Amino acid sequence: MTEILGNINSVCPECLAQIAGHLVRRGDEIVLEKICFEHGAFATTVWRGSPAFESWFRPKLPFFGGERQQAGKGCPYDCGLCQNHSQRTCTALVEITSRCNLQCPVCFADSGGTEPDPDIETLTRMFAQIVARTGGCNLQLSGGEPTVRKDLPLIVRLARLAGIDFVQLNTNGLVLSTDPDLSFELKEAGLSSVFLQFDGTDNQVFTALRGRPLLEAKCVAIENLSRAGIGIVLVPTITAGVNTSQLWDIVRFGLDRLPHVRGVHFQPMSYFGRFPDEFVPNHVTLPEIMSGLHSQSRGLLKVADFRPPGCEHALCSFSAKYLLGEDGHLMRLGSDKCDCTPISAEKGALTSIGVTARQWGSVAEFLPMAQHPPEDELGKFIHRARTHTFSVSAMAFQDCWSLNLERLQGCCIHVAQPDGRLIPFCSFNLTARNGRSLHRPQLRQKIIAT
Amino acid sequence: MNLSFLPPDMNWTCEPCGEKLQPGIVELQYVGSVFKVELPVCPKCGKALISEDLAIGRMLEVELLLEDK
Repeated sequence: MTEILGNINSVCPECLAQIAGHLVRRGDEIVLEKICFEHGAFATTVWRGSPAFESWFRPKLPFFGGERQQAGKGCPYDCGLCQNHSQRTCTALVEITSRCNLQCPVCFADSGGTEPDPDIETLTRMFAQIVARTGGCNLQLSGGEPTVRKDLPLIVRLARLAGIDFVQLNTNGLVLSTDPDLSFELKEAGLSSVFLQFDGTDNQVFTALRGRPLLEAKCVAIENLSRAGIGIVLVPTITAGVNTSQLWDIVRFGLDRLPHVRGVHFQPMSYFGRFPDEFVPNHVTLPEIMSGLHSQSRGLLKVADFRPPGCEHALCSFSAKYLLGEDGHLMRLGSDKCDCTPISAEKGALTSIGVTARQWGSVAEFLPMAQHPPEDELGKFIHRARTHTFSVSAMAFQDCWSLNLERLQGCCIHVAQPDGRLIPFCSFNLTARNGRSLHRPQLRQKIIAT
Repeated sequence: MNLSFLPPDMNWTCEPCGEKLQPGIVELQYVGSVFKVELPVCPKCGKALISEDLAIGRMLEVELLLEDK
């Protein structure tokens, strides 16, 4: 039986024209269906199983402040941000190179390596523009692979000097594993955290997704970062049939490496790039990750632990925070139920900026205090929680098949451009089936996906 | 248990009740977590005095540690 749940606007995967569609229920699946009058009908499953789709909402009062561009052609063609975008920037992303030292069969970004790196003057200007336009946000340095730049510590230092408190590096960790000094140099420059691509706990997964056995290198990178006192977030790209059975194994791997590993952030694979006509996307949906964590951990993590976000659109992510007790017991922290009344999007973003920075950043400053635990209950809690909280979260990016423009308009992760524009992440990476991009200058001509 | 939230000077009076505050065990609840602490309490109405130091110190830190995204 098919039940129409609501109308959506999306794009045609062939021509990227804005088209209308519906979210419909088919059994325990929610399917995004849409029709392009030129290229036909498309259907993509965007939600499977528990928790129930209708239970997953967190309405927000839109935020239209800051510098905005006039909307001309409509969403998603005016990004930068346009006057219809309903959220501010929580995390600005700067691609500091398109070069990469790992040629993955699947790739998160446009790592073709053909364009020159932005120079220091350009990056300095971009950091200043980010601070001026957003009023302050977290920063992620990305690529390509950012560690191929020899001047990376200088770039981190310049971002901090621009007034950005939380600077995170998105990396595959290869250079960090072979150059132990780099972690110390980055720490000294002011790096808070590393988003470490980490797809599984055995080399079969790495070989399937990255083309090489990388587990040992990842472990060495984690050791080097830990010694330098940089917070680490494990970031697995979750792919159907490759690593969906390792969700809990990855969390346990991270818990074993507290306090320096601060959490796991799952990213289900989405499809950016060029794809053959017969290609059918197979998205792993957020509820599958939540219920997979529940079953694989045998109830140590529960579906009911996870909450929709207060910053981005509810359908874009989930998160939970735990405290690992001295006895190994895992205790969920935070409210028992979701606040379902509409909240200010701006307030949600500001909260998220702070919570993210505190959870994913370094806790090295608290470690010397571990020798003198306090005796009262409140003090004991604080003492342990300063170093042993652990976040489990996921973010589902959107591609030309799954794009829901309402979600895109609530996006808080924005790719900064040299001209000052801030382009929502999924819009920036959006490509038609033939690889044509809306906002990227160019894409390499091969299949890429994240 | 060594509870440390009593002010050095316990010479406080509950203004509505006119009673001198006395040490008492109070449960602090915040987003699903409960902490027992010793605070100055009015023996008549049960209201507790939370000093500014505690409110903007350890209580704020707990609030930040428990805060959801």
